[in-house]
Amino acid sequence: MKESATSIASAVITIFLTGCIIIAHDVSTDFKQSLVALTGHHWISVSVIAIVLFVLFSGLLMSSKSARKTLRADDIGLWSTTLIAVTLTMILGILAVLIAHYLVD
Amino acid sequence: MLLAIGGIALVYERWIGHALIAIISLVLMVYALTTGAILKGRIKKRSPRNVFKLHKRVGIYFGALILGSFIYGLWIRLQHGESILSSVHGKLGLIILLIAFLQLIPSLVLKNRARYRGLHKMMGYVLAPILFIDASWGLHNGVIGGTKSLVLFHSISGGLAALALVWIILEMLHPTDKGLARARIASYLAAFLITAGCWIAGGYNYLTVYGSQVKPVILAGPHPWAHAIVMEAKEHIFVFLPLIALTLSITLSVLNRDTFLHDPKFRRALTMIACLALFMVLLMFLMGAIISNAGQTGTEALK
Repeated sequence: MKESATSIASAVITIFLTGCIIIAHDVSTDFKQSLVALTGHHWISVSVIAIVLFVLFSGLLMSSKSARKTLRADDIGLWSTTLIAVTLTMILGILAVLIAHYLVD
Repeated sequence: MLLAIGGIALVYERWIGHALIAIISLVLMVYALTTGAILKGRIKKRSPRNVFKLHKRVGIYFGALILGSFIYGLWIRLQHGESILSSVHGKLGLIILLIAFLQLIPSLVLKNRARYRGLHKMMGYVLAPILFIDASWGLHNGVIGGTKSLVLFHSISGGLAALALVWIILEMLHPTDKGLARARIASYLAAFLITAGCWIAGGYNYLTVYGSQVKPVILAGPHPWAHAIVMEAKEHIFVFLPLIALTLSITLSVLNRDTFLHDPKFRRALTMIACLALFMVLLMFLMGAIISNAGQTGTEALK
């Protein structure tokens, strides 16, 4: 059942990286502009990046046995807990940055 | 769900009694479906309680609440001097009321229910999506006060996705031989609704309508934080949801039946992921309600 946890691990990595990109684009105007330049709208860029990252990491983990072993991709309990922790942390992080941004402005 | 109801209740007052009763009915309907599935053997019975009595009692409460919600809805319409049963929401409400009574009355009156069971089961499963669609429709009407079809499609997709996620959670908590196949169907439905209905339709609305029409009104109104914090958070946090739904679908599609039936660790992990997705759908509902209300108050303030 290695593939099951592989997909969850890919989602965890993608959500973490996408969350970091979202926070970075809220903090840095230049970075936001570069996302706008990529597709015409920052939201479309973030969405496209999320899809590309998910497909990329899924493919990478599916094709590499050593990567799966290193990441313990067969442990579904570990990765489902990590998925919840990373998602909630990213939600709170994004909210915190936006609230701080609003209060400062 | 109760958290979401409470949050909405604090923001909106006019139609909140109707909405609260309807949402409690939704919870009871899920419970009635579960006890019905236990009676048919689709879901394994765990507790020694008399499931038939529970199913009957929940059915009576459900019927009473649907009747109460319907009367409440009519009362609200009359109070505002509006014609009754002219809206799709009202017509769907009437259909729900009729199905609920067709479910309840023969079950209580008939002595030999064997021939009626097939119809009872079919109507029960039909009632669930209609009730979710009508509740989403009503929530949309109550918050926005209009019928923007794309936003409506977006809300209804979210409501149906929540139902599919509850279905997955129930299949994980009560595993049976055919449970995995049903959970897979529910996960494909949830992934489709979240991706096509919520992500693409919602994203299209955000890019074409929200930025040019709603955002300036909210920023000029009394609650600019609804855009600066809530909408900005919603549009980005949402991106995580399709990934979680797709992961759940992929994981269920590669899961084999033996592992599903005999490995509680696997089922617990999948339940947790489905609960996370359900939490996010409800969070999006709450955020959407706050944004729509800010748009409405902004429009009123600018008049």
